[in-house]
Amino acid sequence: MAYSDKVVDHYNNPRNVGTLDKSSEEVGTGLVGAPECGDVMRLQIRVNPETQVIEEAKFKTFGCGSAIASSSLATEWVKGKTIAEAMEIKNTDIVKELALPPVKIHCSVLAEDAIRAAIGDWKKKNGVAETVAVAAN
Amino acid sequence: MNHCTSCQKALEGSWLVCADCGAVQSDSTIDFFQALGHERRFGIDTAALEREFHRLSRRLHPDRFARASAEEQQNSLAATALLNDAWRTLRDPVSRLEYLLKLEGHAVGEEHAGKGKSAERQPPSDLLEEVFELNVQLEELRMSQKMGEAADGAVVKDLAATGVRFESMLQAVDDALAAESAKWDTGAAEARTEAATRMIQLLDRRRYLQNLVRDVHETLGAAA
Ligand code: FES
Ligand SMILES: [Zn+2]
Repeated sequence: MAYSDKVVDHYNNPRNVGTLDKSSEEVGTGLVGAPECGDVMRLQIRVNPETQVIEEAKFKTFGCGSAIASSSLATEWVKGKTIAEAMEIKNTDIVKELALPPVKIHCSVLAEDAIRAAIGDWKKKNGVAETVAVAAN
Repeated sequence: MNHCTSCQKALEGSWLVCADCGAVQSDSTIDFFQALGHERRFGIDTAALEREFHRLSRRLHPDRFARASAEEQQNSLAATALLNDAWRTLRDPVSRLEYLLKLEGHAVGEEHAGKGKSAERQPPSDLLEEVFELNVQLEELRMSQKMGEAADGAVVKDLAATGVRFESMLQAVDDALAAESAKWDTGAAEARTEAATRMIQLLDRRRYLQNLVRDVHETLGAAA
C-alpha cells in the first residue's frame, strides 16, 4: 500500500515518542486497541492544572504506519490546546490531514480513541466531571 | 433453491455446475457455501469438503472447455475463480467464521471501522495492558538484537513463558469460538444472534492475541 508523504514523514520522524509518568496527577494516560487489526496505542498528556492546557504529549504505538502517523500527529495537535479543545479533534481531521485511504480509517479512529481515553483518565484523576464545560481563558 | 440456466432443473450440490446437464452456471451472486454445495454452517467436515473442491475443480477446469463457446469458456473461468476463493476461505476455521458472520449481515473486523463508540470497541483493560507491556519487551529485545548484543537468557526465557501463556489464551478463545459456532449451527434465530454477537467479540480479542503470538515467535526465532 502506498502511504502519503505526510504519513511517511511522521513514520520516519515520529514526533513525541515516549513516556510520561503515569502516576503523576497531571498526567492522563490513554491505552487503546484497534479490534480491526489488534494494534495497540498509548497516548499520554500532561495538563497544566491551572489553565487546563495540555503542555506535553507522548505516544507509543505498536501498529501499522498509519497508526504511528495518526498518533504522532495527534500529539502535535493536542499540545497547546485546552482539554476542551482537544476533545474536539475528530478522526476525520486526521484522515484528511494524512490522506488516509478507507482501509486505514480505523487507524485514525484509534488515535481519536487514545486522545479521549487520555483526557478521560486525566479528568478522573482530577475529579473533573465529564459534562462540566471548561471556561474559556 | 436455484435452477440450471440451461436445463431449468433444480441444482443439486454445487450451484456452479448443473449435475444433470453439465452446464456451468454464470451467476456471480453465488456465495461460497453454495459454490461448494455445502449447507451454510460453521461446522464442516474439511476432508469431505476438500474432496468436493477437487472434484469440482476438475469438473470446471478451463482446459475442458477449450473447444467450447466463448461464453462457456468465460463461465468456466469465472466459476473456477469463485470455487478457489470459496475453498480458500472456508477451509480455514477463522476466515470461515468471519465470512459466515458477514454473510449473515454482521459487521466483522474491518467493517466496524469508524463505527461503534470507543468504549464498546475496547477489550478488557487488563488484556490491553498486558498486550502493551509484552510489546514493549519485544521491542527492547529486538533493539538489543539489532545492536548485536547477545540476548539476555532470563529475558528470553521470560518472553518464551509469556508466549506460551498467550498461546493458551488464544486456544481458549478458539475453544470458545468452536462452542459458540456449534450453538449457532443448531440454534434457532434468537440463539443464533446471541452466539454471533459473542463470536464477533471473541474474534476481536483473538486479533490481539494472534499478533502477539506471531511477534513473540518472530522475535524469539531471531534470538535463537
Ligand atoms: S492497520 Fe490497524 S491500526 Fe493501522
Ligand atoms: Zn442443467
